[in-house]
Amino acid sequence: MKATTMNAVNVASNPQLEQGRSLWYDAYLRIKKDKVAVISFFTICFYLVLTLLSSLGVIFDNYGVVDNSLTYLPPSWDHWFGTDLFGRDVLARAVHGTKTSLVVGFAGTGIAMAIGTVLGACSGYFGGKVDDLIVWFYTTIDTIPYILLVVAFSFVLGPSLLTLCLAIGLTAWVRHCRIVRAEYIKHRDLDYVQGAAALGASHARRIFLHILPNVFHLVLINFSLGFVGAVKSEVILSFLGLGVEPGTPSWGVMINDAKQELFRGVWWNLAAATLFMFFLVLAFNLFTDALRDALDPKLKNK
Amino acid sequence: MSDHIIEVKDLSVEFRTDEGTVKAVKNVSFSLPRGKTVGLVGESGSGKSVSSLAIMKLIPNPPGEITSGQILFDGKDLVKASDTEMRKVRGNRISMIFQEPMTSLNPVFTVGDQICETLMLHQSLDKTAATKKAIELLDQVGIPNPTERVKSYPHEMSGGQRQRVMIAMAIACEPEILIADEPTTALDVTIQKQILDLLADLQKKYNMSVLFITHDLGVIADIADEVIVMYRGDIVETGTCEQIFTHAKHPYTKGLLACRPSLESNPERLPMVSDFMDEAGNEKSHSLDLDKVHKYVRPIDEQKNPVILQIKGVKKHFPMQKGLFGNVKTWLKAVDDVTLNVRRGRTLGLVGESGCGKTTLGRTILRLIEPTGGQIIYDGNDITTYDRSKMRAMRRKMQIIFQDPYASLNPRMTVGAAIMEPMVIHNLGNGKAERIEMAGDLMDRVGLSRTMLNRYPHEFSGGQRQRICIARALAVKPEFIICDESVSALDVSIQAQILNLLLDLQEEFDLTYIFISHDLAVVKFISDEVAVMYNGKVVEMNDAVGIYENPQHDYTKKLLSAIPKGIPKTLMPAST
Repeated sequence: MKATTMNAVNVASNPQLEQGRSLWYDAYLRIKKDKVAVISFFTICFYLVLTLLSSLGVIFDNYGVVDNSLTYLPPSWDHWFGTDLFGRDVLARAVHGTKTSLVVGFAGTGIAMAIGTVLGACSGYFGGKVDDLIVWFYTTIDTIPYILLVVAFSFVLGPSLLTLCLAIGLTAWVRHCRIVRAEYIKHRDLDYVQGAAALGASHARRIFLHILPNVFHLVLINFSLGFVGAVKSEVILSFLGLGVEPGTPSWGVMINDAKQELFRGVWWNLAAATLFMFFLVLAFNLFTDALRDALDPKLKNK
Repeated sequence: MSDHIIEVKDLSVEFRTDEGTVKAVKNVSFSLPRGKTVGLVGESGSGKSVSSLAIMKLIPNPPGEITSGQILFDGKDLVKASDTEMRKVRGNRISMIFQEPMTSLNPVFTVGDQICETLMLHQSLDKTAATKKAIELLDQVGIPNPTERVKSYPHEMSGGQRQRVMIAMAIACEPEILIADEPTTALDVTIQKQILDLLADLQKKYNMSVLFITHDLGVIADIADEVIVMYRGDIVETGTCEQIFTHAKHPYTKGLLACRPSLESNPERLPMVSDFMDEAGNEKSHSLDLDKVHKYVRPIDEQKNPVILQIKGVKKHFPMQKGLFGNVKTWLKAVDDVTLNVRRGRTLGLVGESGCGKTTLGRTILRLIEPTGGQIIYDGNDITTYDRSKMRAMRRKMQIIFQDPYASLNPRMTVGAAIMEPMVIHNLGNGKAERIEMAGDLMDRVGLSRTMLNRYPHEFSGGQRQRICIARALAVKPEFIICDESVSALDVSIQAQILNLLLDLQEEFDLTYIFISHDLAVVKFISDEVAVMYNGKVVEMNDAVGIYENPQHDYTKKLLSAIPKGIPKTLMPAST
C-alpha cells in the first residue's frame, strides 16, 4: 500500500513519462529485421564513404594523372580495372564518378522533392484555383520531352554538374507532385485535420505540421525511387555529351569512351562504370522496396 | 442427427504478434441449435468475431492459429478439414454477412454478377438460370424493382440496400448456417429495424441457424432465442434470451444490460460495467438505483441558463450540377433554413439519420464549412461576419469532438503533443513545462494516466482515444462543444463511460453541448432539449421528455418506433 502511494507522489511531482512507440520507430524496427534492406543500406553507406574519402583526396587522388606511356593497360594488381587512353587509373575514375552520380542523385532529387512536395501540398490542400493553376503548370511541363528540356538547360547554363542537377530537379518533380497532391486531397478532409482547424490551427500549420508527417513516407519512397532515376539520367546525359563538363569523371563519360574502345578489346572502362552503377542502383532499388514495405501502413500486418 | 448443427468444443485461438502471443479465444465451448438464432455478445476484443471466423476457418494465418479444440459441423470436425473441403462449405452450407456493406461488395461488378458468382460456383447453374435466381433473391430481400436493380453497381445503392444484397448473396445457396457479424452496426436505426426484421423472416423461411454477433444486447433481444456473452476471450454466460434479460447472473452481463440508455428511463448517470464488476471480473456490490422508470430532468433556469447560441435561418447549399459557364443548375440543400437556440450549461440533442444534414450543420456552426446564408449569433455577436483572426480567437470558446476516434487524432503526433497543440496555438501556459503539467492534468481529468503523454494514438483503444479527443477539446478551456456522433463508434459499455464523463465535465466546467447522434436513446439520456432533423430541416423541437412522450411529426414517430426495445419477444406485452 505504501509503495503505491509513494509511486503516485513520484509521478505527480516528477512525471516520468512512458516512452511511446512512434510509427517511424515501428518502421525502423521492421527495416532492421530485413536482411536485404540492411545490406543495401550498408552498400549505399559504402558508396558514400568512398565518395567522401576520394573527394577529400585520402584515396584515389591519382584519377587525373595523365601518363601516355600507360595507355590501355589491361587490369593488373597495380591497376585493378586497367588504364584508359590517357593512362589514368580506371578504378580511380570510377570511384570519382561515384561522386558525380551521388551529387546529381541527392541534389537533383532533393530539388525535385522540394518542388513536388510544396506544389503538390498546396494544390491538394487548397484545391480550387490554386489547384487548377498548379495542375496546368505541371501538365505543361510534362508535355515537353524531358531530354529536350535538359538540352535547353544545358544550352542556357552551359554543361556542368550544377546544370545537370537543376535540369533533373526541375523536370523530375511532376510525378511526385501528382502523388503528394492526391494524398493531400485525401487527408485534408480527415477528422484530424478538421479537428486542427477547429482548434484554430493556421493553414500552414495544418499543411506542414499535421498532414506532411503523414505523407512523408511517400516523400522518402519517391526520393529513393527518384534517386535511381537521377543516377541513370546523369549516365545517359553524360553518354550523350549533355552532362558534366569534359574532364569531370563520370560513369556516363566512361561508357561513352568505351564506344570507340570496345572493338580494340578494351572492355574494362565499360565494365568498371557498369559494375559501379549496377551495385548502387541495385542497392537503392532493394532499399526502396524494403522502405516501402516498412513505411506503408496498409502493409503493416502482413 | 443431433439437435445442434455446430458444436464448438474447447476452442482456443492465438495470435502471434511482435509484442507476444495474444490469446483471443480461450477454451471456449458452445453450440448452435438447428433452426434457432443465437446471439453472441461482447465488446470489441472479446473474441466474438474470432470465434465466428474460426467456424468458417477464415482466421488469417499467420498471425492467427487455432491451437486447440474441435468445431463439429454435423458431426464433422472443421478444424481438421482441408481447404478444398472448406471451400465447399463456405458460402454454400455456412455463409456470412459482414459489418461494412460499403466495403464487402466488389465495386467493379454489378450486384447481379456477385450473387450469380456464388450460385454458379456451388450449384453449377448456368448464367441465365443464376441471373433468374438472383432476381428472385433480390425480390426476397426486399429490393424494389429487382429485374432492373440486378444490373446496378454497389455504389448506386444505399447502405441498407447493400446490406440486403449481402444477405441475398449469403442465402443464395440456402445455407444451413448464417453468421451475421454486426450486420446492422453501420446502419441507421430505421434501416437497422428493417434488416433485423428481414433476417428474422428469412431465418423462419429457410429454417436456418443464425449466429448473430453484436456488441449491443438491445439489438438481439427481439430476434435471438439464445444468448452467449463473451468477455476477454471467455464465455461468461449462456442462456435463453429470456433468462439473460431477466435473470442475468454474471456481473458483466448485468453491466451490459444496464449501461444501455433506454427510452423508458432517464437516469441521472448511466450505470457502467465497472459498477458491477471489478478489474479481475469479480462481482461488486453497487448502490445504483436501477429502477427503470426513474426520470431525471435538469431544470432550466432563465438566469443561469440563458440562450448562448442562436442559429437563425442557417443554410448550406452545395452545388450539384454546373452549367456550361459555371452557373449552378441544381443545389443540394444539406442544411436548409435551420433556426435553433442553445442554452448555456445545457445540452441540445440533434437527431436524424445519415444524410439529413446534422453533421454539416455542426461544422457550419463552427465555420469549418462556410454557411450559404443565415446568422450564427454566439453571446450576442454574429460570428459569420468575423474575419479569420477574430474567428481564430473565437475557436478557443467553441470546440468539436468527432465520431471516429481513430481518424480524429494525427497518427504521427504523440497524444501529449496533440493536447498541447491548442495551448501553443492560443498561447496558453508559460513554456513547455507548464503545458506538460496542464496536459497531464487533463489526462487525469478524462480518466487516463498522465504518464501516457508520450505515447502515440495507435497504442490506445477506441474509448481511450475518445477520451484523448475530449482532453484536447478541453485544453483551450472552451465554453461550447459540439459532439458529432462522439459515441457512435464505441461499444455500448464504453459509450456509457464516455457519456458519464461528458456529463461530469459539463457540470464541472459549465459547458454547453450540441450533441449530434442518430441514436435517440443516447440523445434522450444526455440532452435537455432535442431537435429532430430530416432532409436538411428541423422538423420538430421540444424538451427531451416531451419529444419522446409526445412526438408530433411523423418522422419522429417513425424514428422512435425503430429503436430496438431491448426486451425479448417472449416478454413483450401482447398488445404491441
